[in-house]
Amino acid sequence: MRITIGHMFKIKRGNVTLQYPVERWPRPERHIGFSADSYNVIRSRLTVDVDDCIGCLKCQRACPVSCIKIETTKVEKGEDISEANHRGVTSNGTQKRLLVTRFDIDMTECCYCNLCTYPCPEECIFMVGGPNSSRREIDYEFSEYDRNDMIYRFSKVPFDILQKYASAVEKSEVEEAT
Amino acid sequence: MGVVIEQELGTVHGDEMILNIGPQHPSTHGVLRLKVHTDGEIITQITPYIGYLHRCFEKHCENLTYEQSIPYTDRCDYIGSMNNNFGYAVAVEQLMETKVPEKVEYMRVIVAEMNRIASHLLALGTFGLDVGAFTPFLYCFRDRERILDLFEMLCGARLLYNYIWIGGVSHDFPVGWVEKTYEFLDYFEPKINEYNDLLTYNKIFIERSADVGVIPADVAISYGVTGPNLRGSGVRWDLRKDDPYGIYDRFEFDIPIGTGAMGSVGDCWDRYYVRVRELEECVKIIRQALDALPRDGDVHAALPKKIRPKAGHVYSRTESPRGDLGYYIASDGSDIPSRIKMRSPAFTALSCLNEISRGWMISDVIAILGSLDIVLGEIDR
Repeated sequence: MRITIGHMFKIKRGNVTLQYPVERWPRPERHIGFSADSYNVIRSRLTVDVDDCIGCLKCQRACPVSCIKIETTKVEKGEDISEANHRGVTSNGTQKRLLVTRFDIDMTECCYCNLCTYPCPEECIFMVGGPNSSRREIDYEFSEYDRNDMIYRFSKVPFDILQKYASAVEKSEVEEAT
Repeated sequence: MGVVIEQELGTVHGDEMILNIGPQHPSTHGVLRLKVHTDGEIITQITPYIGYLHRCFEKHCENLTYEQSIPYTDRCDYIGSMNNNFGYAVAVEQLMETKVPEKVEYMRVIVAEMNRIASHLLALGTFGLDVGAFTPFLYCFRDRERILDLFEMLCGARLLYNYIWIGGVSHDFPVGWVEKTYEFLDYFEPKINEYNDLLTYNKIFIERSADVGVIPADVAISYGVTGPNLRGSGVRWDLRKDDPYGIYDRFEFDIPIGTGAMGSVGDCWDRYYVRVRELEECVKIIRQALDALPRDGDVHAALPKKIRPKAGHVYSRTESPRGDLGYYIASDGSDIPSRIKMRSPAFTALSCLNEISRGWMISDVIAILGSLDIVLGEIDR
């Protein structure tokens, strides 16, 4: 009782409890001591800068729950799909060779282990926030009314072009399976 | 069985009642179903039914690579995730004969002991909650929250860390983390007295927990009970001292045991008080580790490129907040383990429930269950 009363008089606003929708939990400051750009430490939703993706499938292999689905295909020479931005180099200066026709992440399956972000050579898959908050605003309220809305589709390839490459996609899948 | 009433007419047998506690009951600390045979209000037999939180941890691991299994070990004992990561990493490193850098060893000890504090705080708070004291629960969670904040700063997650990797840890300590941890320890040490004032020496609490649910030392050993539950029975057994893993042999700390100060040795109060005393020991270890922490060193230096241990098997055990956490790993030389078996300390603690709670009342069973500090995620795996 002595302690309870003592704390009752010591109490000040925002001592322990936060009134959630009005107040927000403060983000911890994270100054990672080494290579701050490449390490994003907050575990929020996954985001992909698909312009930087080279389709190496490393994140797909690292995922313990297989919530990342990637399909790639080769594009004929000379053809330029302006929406997909599949030519040229990434921010890290790697030559892009493949067209990423599908990059889906099912956030309902994701276990937030962060294992996919480490092997990425282009640092294009990351969890929002942390040192990357300049690229994506941090948020931790991403509930949806429909379960299908939790499947994030990052590929920018338009549907008609996808159909054109459909046979190629299937072919590469068959090759992978055998 | 049944109550035998001596009457003038002779002996009359009363009926036995079967009562189901759980699976959705706040006092069962998760989804545990207890089938309680009662005679009036006296317990004659308890059968725990488990499996409501079974997630096929061991079978999953047979289909994942060694490093992909680490997030699954988080989810076994979700209150002491760092210790689970630690135990698994130690087991695989033994199998691979990897040597981890000095700095990583210290970092692992620091985070594991921090997590032990967080886990014990939850155990103390919920034990108080079980026997009817609501206030200490809030005090414990207030301080546990600070540890979770530190962990969030460290690795981004608050509960399921995936921090300790095979051969290293995922991140170095961020700038300012060590200072903040010192700050937390300075803040936390006086708080232990506050818990003592609030709960430990509370008259009602002592009445509820002292002399209740006594585990004699021989029963505890024969059931394989480990950790604070065994130490509460007066057995000085702690793997950090008796079979040191990592660098625990470098630190000076005591192993508190139950003395029967309020009742008899091995009662609920002893088990509770061992946890309180362990908080102080954890603070001691963290202080020593932070003082000796090497300033520089790459935490990723010993991370193996490809985790592919030689064919063979290993059993390694570590001291988790709940006791002796063992991992048996059999490797067939590929990058996927052929078998992983986890020895769960909470499972063995639960197994002696029938033995110790016979003859007590229903409300005492809740106290006994709370003092055992079980985590159903670890029991069902």
